[in-house]
Amino acid sequence: MKVFATAGWRHSLALRVSVMFTLVVALAAAGLGAYLYRAFVHEIGRRDDIQLLGKLRQVQMLLGRPGAAALLRAQPDYFRDTMSGQENSLVRILAPDGTLLADINALRETYPLPPVAGAAPAIDAIRSWTSSAGAPGRVVAGSARLDNRQVNIVVARVYAERSAMFAGYRRQIAGAALVSALLAALLAALLLRRGLLPLRSVAEHAALVRPGTLAQRLEVKGAPSELLPLIHALNAMLARLQEGYARLSGFSADLAHEFRTPVSNLLGQSQVMLAQPRSSGEYEALLASNIEELERLARMIESMLFLARAGQEEVVLARRPLAALAELEKVAGFYEGMAEERGLVFACSGDPALAVAADAGLLRRALANLVSNAVRHADTGSTVVLAASRRGEAIELSVSNHGAPVAALHLAHLFERFYRADSARSDAEGSTGLGLSIVGAIMDLHGGEASVHADGGRITFSLVFPVA
Amino acid sequence: MSILVIEDEPKTGEYLQRGLAESGYGVRLARNGRDGLHIAREEAIELVVLDVMLPRMDGWQVLAALRADPATAQIPVLFLTARDEVQDRVRGLELGADDYLVKPFAFVELMARIRTLLRRGPVREEAQIHIGDMEIDVLMRRVRRGGTVIVLTAQEFALLHLLARRQGQVLSRALIASQVWDMNFDSDTNVIDAAVRRLRRKIDDPFPDKLIHTRRGMGYVCEALPAAAP
Repeated sequence: MKVFATAGWRHSLALRVSVMFTLVVALAAAGLGAYLYRAFVHEIGRRDDIQLLGKLRQVQMLLGRPGAAALLRAQPDYFRDTMSGQENSLVRILAPDGTLLADINALRETYPLPPVAGAAPAIDAIRSWTSSAGAPGRVVAGSARLDNRQVNIVVARVYAERSAMFAGYRRQIAGAALVSALLAALLAALLLRRGLLPLRSVAEHAALVRPGTLAQRLEVKGAPSELLPLIHALNAMLARLQEGYARLSGFSADLAHEFRTPVSNLLGQSQVMLAQPRSSGEYEALLASNIEELERLARMIESMLFLARAGQEEVVLARRPLAALAELEKVAGFYEGMAEERGLVFACSGDPALAVAADAGLLRRALANLVSNAVRHADTGSTVVLAASRRGEAIELSVSNHGAPVAALHLAHLFERFYRADSARSDAEGSTGLGLSIVGAIMDLHGGEASVHADGGRITFSLVFPVA
Repeated sequence: MSILVIEDEPKTGEYLQRGLAESGYGVRLARNGRDGLHIAREEAIELVVLDVMLPRMDGWQVLAALRADPATAQIPVLFLTARDEVQDRVRGLELGADDYLVKPFAFVELMARIRTLLRRGPVREEAQIHIGDMEIDVLMRRVRRGGTVIVLTAQEFALLHLLARRQGQVLSRALIASQVWDMNFDSDTNVIDAAVRRLRRKIDDPFPDKLIHTRRGMGYVCEALPAAAP
């Protein structure tokens, strides 16, 4: 309820719709009333006219009887009574030369003489006129025979009660339109309130979503079809939030776990050292060892911040064309000393003209992480292959080495943070467990893709850079 | 002439003061921006190491005040920040800072930056460097020890040249990676260690007097040590 009550008129859908609906109903009722009124007025007028013509025929028949002329002369009063019938009927009989033979006019009205329209005038020969009191009148003229003589008959009528009747009818129609509009408004408001109930229940459900209840979804069953797109969109959003939240909290847990080992080493070895007086050489060794642990922590913090920022896309890319082969050789050169100590050889290949559009610093970082990984896991005496090639429009840089086979189930997870294929921790190498996920993040920033595939003992990491 | 450290965090202030003093600099330590500004105006200060997060008057305000006063406008400022946001760095450099370091940083890295800032002006590249009995011809890229010619690869030469140029200074692995290989990120420390070992095999192993020394936990230094008493 509150949702609707507190919203202003501009913001309440129910109010807006019911106002519009009421306006529509009022307009429709008024239109219908106007139409009915016009039809009514028209019909009344037609019936009046038919009666008027009937009156004309009646007078014609009366005059056509034998001895009518004599009767008209001898007993004008009887004749008048017979012909007029009603007080509002006015009759005039004229000789062709215009001589007035008879004039029945109880109301003493003056009315125009329309053109004579033959023995049987049609409705459209009837003319309107207005009485001295302002009431509408109709008049028609037709020819008749009176004792073998042609005469003209004019019949007129005054409809004094018509205006009042029509006015009353108009009032009734306006009243009915108003009442139906009010009823419509009430009904619309009630029905809309009912009709919008599902929306309110969606809102209530959405209001209950908490970090701990992200697994819940909004009810789809029974929801009206108009709301389904909204509910599906909200559910999809919940799914994405749930995934992101799970990844984030998993990440925080992993992070805390990863920090534990170095921090516990720092604590433990420092306390053991302080427990007894020792030579300065021993203290120096401790400090140096502490520095190594701390450097690892610092590297981890830096990597985490990088990943967090890359995830928020806050890293600014300075993209420019770089010679792909030269970059590979540069990174290989960086690792040459380490490779040599392990009896490894680098083989770099690719078209020297091939250029990749990338941020130099990030590209080197990604390649360095892959090469570092390869050098650590390659079999002694093997060759680490670095290659640059064109793949359709894109440029692919790959680093592959021969080493202990990696099970397929690990491959898909290698780019995840802190994922280690060998659960025996190989931390002695100074790896933070974040290297490959940084590679993935760097490729995401470039709109490219990092992938891995294994073929027996040969594992190949590929970076595909799209054309910028 | 001394270095002014403006830092409110007690441990950081203390070790910076101690480390800089032991490296031969006079050091003044201020615990807040106002005191720091006062010292900078009153005393002969050669360089300011400025923490950004300070109580009351923050580092940005101190920096702006230093630059606004003609007496202190020329003093180089190196700022320290724990928040490595691009806009922070840009803001600092726009306000007139000369360099910055992001916490956590290695002390040798700070020393390297301070030396660079104090050197001022273009560094004169020496064509010939002599260290002990080693002689480096930079232009010809030739190295001799005693009378022996030592053949180095391009990268080995670049590494030796860097160490020799900064003779007597401890160089961090990160600095070496950045200067020699253009790798500006924290990489495996092993990479630099392996590269230095390779260089040592040619430069030091055949000779009794060693020139390249490991400073454990800090990095490498190239110098001829006074002959140890037998």
